Amino acid sequence: MPNCTACGAPLETPVACAACGAVHDVPEGASPFDILGLVPSFVVDERDLRRRLTRCSRLVHPDFFGTAEAAVRERAERNSARLNQAFDVLSDAVRRADWLVLHLGGPTEENERAMPQAFLVEVLEWNEVLEESRAASGTDPRIAPLAAEIADRRAAGLARIAQLLDPLPERGSQQLGVARRELNALRYLDRALREVETLRLARAERR
Amino acid sequence: MGYVELNVLNNTVPAPAPQVALGIDLGTTNSLAATWREGRPSVLRPDGRSGLVPSVIYFPESGAPIVGREARDHAVVDPRNTLFSVKRFMGRGLADVAQELATLPYAATENERGLIQLEARGRRYAPEELSALILRKVHDVASTALGEKAPTKCVITVPAYFDDAQRQSTRDAARIAGLDVLRIVNEPTAASLAYGLDQRDKGHVAVFDLGGGTFDVTILSIEDGVFRVLATNGDTHLGGDDFDQRLANLARTALGAEHGDELTRDPAFQQAARQAAEHCKIELTNQPEAELHLMVPHKRIAWRRRVSRDEFEALTADLIERTLDSCRRALSDAKLTAGQIDEVVLVGGSTRMPVVRRRIAEFFGRIPHTELNPDEVVALGAAVQAQILMGGRRDMLLLDVTPLSLGLETMGGAVSKIIQRNSTVPCEATEGFTTYADDQTGIDFHIVQGEREMARDCRSLGRFKLKGIPPMPAGMPRVAVRFHIDADGLLTVSAKEQSTGISAHIDVQPMHGLTDSEVEGMLKSGYANAVEDFAARRAADLKTEIGTMVLATEKNLNAGRAGLDKESIRDLEDALRDAKVAVQQDDVKALQRARDEFERAALPLAALLMNNVAQKALMGRSLGDV
Repeated sequence: MPNCTACGAPLETPVACAACGAVHDVPEGASPFDILGLVPSFVVDERDLRRRLTRCSRLVHPDFFGTAEAAVRERAERNSARLNQAFDVLSDAVRRADWLVLHLGGPTEENERAMPQAFLVEVLEWNEVLEESRAASGTDPRIAPLAAEIADRRAAGLARIAQLLDPLPERGSQQLGVARRELNALRYLDRALREVETLRLARAERR
Repeated sequence: MGYVELNVLNNTVPAPAPQVALGIDLGTTNSLAATWREGRPSVLRPDGRSGLVPSVIYFPESGAPIVGREARDHAVVDPRNTLFSVKRFMGRGLADVAQELATLPYAATENERGLIQLEARGRRYAPEELSALILRKVHDVASTALGEKAPTKCVITVPAYFDDAQRQSTRDAARIAGLDVLRIVNEPTAASLAYGLDQRDKGHVAVFDLGGGTFDVTILSIEDGVFRVLATNGDTHLGGDDFDQRLANLARTALGAEHGDELTRDPAFQQAARQAAEHCKIELTNQPEAELHLMVPHKRIAWRRRVSRDEFEALTADLIERTLDSCRRALSDAKLTAGQIDEVVLVGGSTRMPVVRRRIAEFFGRIPHTELNPDEVVALGAAVQAQILMGGRRDMLLLDVTPLSLGLETMGGAVSKIIQRNSTVPCEATEGFTTYADDQTGIDFHIVQGEREMARDCRSLGRFKLKGIPPMPAGMPRVAVRFHIDADGLLTVSAKEQSTGISAHIDVQPMHGLTDSEVEGMLKSGYANAVEDFAARRAADLKTEIGTMVLATEKNLNAGRAGLDKESIRDLEDALRDAKVAVQQDDVKALQRARDEFERAALPLAALLMNNVAQKALMGRSLGDV
């Protein structure tokens, strides 16, 4: 990380200087890890991440620039948005893994659409339950165990991704393709969980 | 000898005297201003009165429109020219509000750009112009309370669930009123600031805000002075008005059967039913049974009916359920359960209803906070936020979210989401576009806000046009469009062509809300004429006040003369003469002195009259008969 152009102090984050308060122009290519002052890694400490968001927000949140000149205010507004965007990516394990796979030259979602083989069989079973439950009028007793099963499956998938991405594989490694397939499955699971949640809330509403 | 140390390196200049800004709650039913005074937020109350300005505007046959309490009194007498609940129309089209229009006594139309217009005295007004009149009045009341022109810098609150168009309308209204908006803040978030919940170091808070016309629920986490909104949900078409309507329907059904549609469509009837229902609802807050009592003199109708609290609660049960559905959705988005909420805060006049308090306590399993007046808590919170923005507080930080997902309409009418709901603001996303034809220089896109799959089911923020793309073969241009939602929750769109490195100037034209020139036009022409001379206004108010006092005193002095001692009479007669002289001039200080002196001198007479009233009451007559 470079030093502050205004006071020379070492920067913790490219958005602003904690020593003198200067708000800096963030380079276009700065990564979410750069912005929060971290080294790319799949493992992040959630609490530490929140602290970093808070500390950086205190430097650039537009609330603290209510009386600043327009140019500084706009830069703070922009940096604050970059900061929140970086936090959104890093605080979500799936988005974090997705970013790392792409960053290390792994396949995009479009280039690698496959999911792990065993997963497809499970999907068919879940879909059946979901479909029947959608059509049913009352509360389906199978929904709660299904939600628990999907959540378990999701945790297992995340654990496999952690194994693949920690420590970070070499650029262009085969492992990245495997990780992408696991990610595809996770996206599917998240959609299924949202679906279950929608069903649950809709039931509550009909009650 | 001491000396002054100059910090040459940092070029430090002495900090200017701290400035304050107003916090304004622009409500559906009432509006209110507060500011930071003596280390805490306080409501601006002129002469100890409430400071609450009813959000009602009356257009008299001639002269300037009347806003506030006085305007509300005209609602039954002249319902077609008395506009209220304006907030419900901010940033909306006619189709969005068809349901409420059916029950409103005044007329509404749409202009050629699909923007709603409300009619009074044969003139059409944009909701922004009307809200500007309310804001002017709130500012005047604040000035009166402060004894000098109130700051024009302000923070204005909006329901958390307001979309981009509704927020933009609120900003435009403030501009028309000559106010400088530092920030648009979400009402429930503001309320959490007012409660000083930063005193607790860690926890989850739910704010339940049921106002006159809107409902919001917000879930926040508080940690080390940082208020982070985790999720917000709500309904911009659900509020106390809807509860009133259920009671009004009782009258509508009963009297409609008897007198037909002609009566129930009559504006005076609608207004009377509305007011009777509101009155009945308020009474039911404190007693188990109340009367729904409605009079329409020109139709010779006087109707009454007893309503029990149980009956009222049964009539409105589905409305309460709707609010709880929003709570469930907000909790689900925040990934929390009701049991994980540490504090519950109630905001908005409608949370006075016992049924609301009971159901919320049941739902969250804890007694909600009600220490602060639910009509004032939002304005107080806005004043806290104003103080933060003016640089007066750095210990608190508020991280709010955008309530609705932002998306683009794709081929086939589906929505591709680019910013998810409950993303912390400010936030941004960049989307790539290219051309379909050779030498194409423009691209159209349609931005929507909402959670539904199809664009037609979401709220359209307008069709935007990118212009000025350099002519190139199809598919070659790489236009990066940046969508930025700022801390006010407002969207700005900017674009850049990346493939050629030619820094093409690309225009992005929004197609909703008022245009800049429309706002300018309203600024110049409207009654809400920007900066008014506060002194002139105050002088006029004082003259009116003194005039009223003089009339009342002259009328009562003869009746009361016998009961007063000579000295008091002489004193009062002197004050009367002085007051009549004082109103000949425009000096605010002199007028204020004359009024205060007159008030003092009139005290013995006032005490005597009160005493007479009390005696008559003791003799078995009610106060109302005297």
